[in-house]
Amino acid sequence: MICAGIDAGSRTIKIVLMDARSLGVIAKGLTDQGVAQDKLTLELFERLLKDSDIRKKDVRRIVATGYGRNAVSIADTTITEITCHAVGVSRLVPDAMTIIDIGGEDSKLIRLDKSGKVRDFAMNDRCAAGTGRFLEVVARRLGIGIEQLGRMAAKSRNPAAISSMCVVFAETEIIGLLAAGTPAEDIVAGVQAAIAARVMSMIGRKADLPIVFTGGVAMISGMDRALESALGQEVTVAPEPQMTGALGAVILACNQLA
Amino acid sequence: MRDIPRQITLRQWDQRYEQMQKAGIAQPSYGGLLSRHIEDGDTRLLKLRYDNSAAALRLWNFLLTEEDRLREARDRGKKIVGTMKDLGTVPVMAYSLDNVVAFYPDGAWWTPCVMELNAGLLSIADSLGIDESFCPVRAMLGAFVTGSRFPIPELLICSVGATCDDFSAIAQRLDGLGYPILWWEIPHRREPEPGEESVKLPGGFSAPRCQVEFVKAELQRVRKALEEFAGQHLSEEKLSAGIRKANQVRRLLAELRRLVFTARLCPMPALEMLIAEMLAIHFCSDRDETIAVLKELLDEVKERIKEGTGLLRDDAARIFWVNPVADLQVMNLLEDCGGRICGTEYMFTHALDEIPENLPAMEALAQMALADPMVGSSADRASRICAEIRSPPRLPTRVGAAGGLCAEAVVISRIPGASHCALEGQVIGEIVQAELDVPVLEIEVPSLTDSIAQALRTRLEALVEAVRERRKK
Repeated sequence: MICAGIDAGSRTIKIVLMDARSLGVIAKGLTDQGVAQDKLTLELFERLLKDSDIRKKDVRRIVATGYGRNAVSIADTTITEITCHAVGVSRLVPDAMTIIDIGGEDSKLIRLDKSGKVRDFAMNDRCAAGTGRFLEVVARRLGIGIEQLGRMAAKSRNPAAISSMCVVFAETEIIGLLAAGTPAEDIVAGVQAAIAARVMSMIGRKADLPIVFTGGVAMISGMDRALESALGQEVTVAPEPQMTGALGAVILACNQLA
Repeated sequence: MRDIPRQITLRQWDQRYEQMQKAGIAQPSYGGLLSRHIEDGDTRLLKLRYDNSAAALRLWNFLLTEEDRLREARDRGKKIVGTMKDLGTVPVMAYSLDNVVAFYPDGAWWTPCVMELNAGLLSIADSLGIDESFCPVRAMLGAFVTGSRFPIPELLICSVGATCDDFSAIAQRLDGLGYPILWWEIPHRREPEPGEESVKLPGGFSAPRCQVEFVKAELQRVRKALEEFAGQHLSEEKLSAGIRKANQVRRLLAELRRLVFTARLCPMPALEMLIAEMLAIHFCSDRDETIAVLKELLDEVKERIKEGTGLLRDDAARIFWVNPVADLQVMNLLEDCGGRICGTEYMFTHALDEIPENLPAMEALAQMALADPMVGSSADRASRICAEIRSPPRLPTRVGAAGGLCAEAVVISRIPGASHCALEGQVIGEIVQAELDVPVLEIEVPSLTDSIAQALRTRLEALVEAVRERRKK
């Protein structure tokens, strides 16, 4: 019996296939999100099946999560990304107590209890300042790829203070910093710190340890250190941070079959 | 004409109304097709789902005909007083006079929601310098300027002091526009200091005697103004009778809340319950009709419970809701997401408590005014919320939350621009979580939620999922 978990995120679609008996991952993959969300999801799903030599009818249960979950026509049911990230992270880091998930268009703080269940959560999806979108804006403005941001930030000796709380104004601020001769690496480090500060505002005071960092932004080097600096607490990047939502979704699909 | 309880659209209500007409079911004078209110511009009603009972139809028609009923009251020679900010004290005094009708101009804060901004009330407020950084109550300014949502009252009474900053600014602007206001001060409620006489207020809070005396003196000024306005003496007997009538409303609501919040199957949707609770503040401009409307709702609920019928799944997540929503759709949304309301704190809990009938009337009213959750600290509000969640009135064990609490989660709904306390959500959330260990979700609900509907849905669905997971413990 095989199950599938689909995380239809704002930037990428992720799919994990799992053997429902052994709970072992059979295959996983991702593709960029686009306008034809359902078609893109189906194409990725079929590619994974083909590569893994699995027939479509052998997939007994499909759970979709993420921003575009309701657009996934092959899903049997949908579960929110909050629950899925919690389940996915708990599988990878069983003692995790706090999850920080920063995706392309939103960021989340999820607090877990000792059994790995969601205790409560907070989300920011109304302001791009705490999301990967901010990094995209700065990368575009600096004319570099988003994957280069981490290396660039590592060179910073004096991170710039980005005071604007809105990405639109922050972009203007960055233009001003560039005009004033501020080194690009200091600007990037400043933006990372600004995102971390935004996330910090969701946490309030201290977060329970261990803190696990997940979502696409966790793959950008330096973001974990920016969070650690803002929180004053250790932050661990989840293994394959982009996949935790899909992993949680497929585990929940398997649970539903049990 | 009874039917299986369900939630229906406005258009479905029209069909049902025709059937009711054919069946000869009597309607009050303000009854009729719900869809006629669309013609008045309340287009948002098309997006809501309504309970299908005749009692709910009466409730909605009662709410949506307030303006017409106020104008009719004036035509009959009644004097109209606008009682602002105060939630549930001055209306009790005003309705003790037989030629006065009190209403709640602040209620215009819902107009931008029900009219999808079509009335332009917020634009008028903008033009008067009261912009979107203020709470939606600013729509009231537009309503006064256009005279389109209610008849302009002959007397305006407004509490000030420990009320929200936004409202004070908005009301001051109104005063400046040539609508004179009789202000009365409500102090920030505090715990008595050592050596001060302490007064136990209805609802459980305490205040020093000097604060009660101060409010009593302020209300005495209001009483005098009302007497001059009405040309009648507002005697102790009249006030006591007014208090007894107000308590009749409060007892009906208390029973309605108890039954609805604790029934195995939810017998009345969150939306209708929100509207019903609001009646406690100001009686929707007709105290006697409020009693009749609530009685019919209560009868319907009792009948449904007796029949074992209701709405929503019997395993719906039991949610305690804090603060009213600016967009009524959100109450439907909660139920779509698998939740049901099992407790509320819509900022006027004190208006649901009975006014002491064994005290002199002005003393009782002063105590009630000071018991307002909004004139104390956010921590006070949190402690009352915790107490209500901890003390469910006879919960059925099948659906009771863990630990005997009436709620499995708490939603704190913020109103954009409202400044009752900038950090009230955080304060209430932290205290509730520390004391009760239930998930707390804070959301922001503007007048129109269409653009953030998916984001709100995700949050509410996630909360319901968290509740269901916790049940597996």
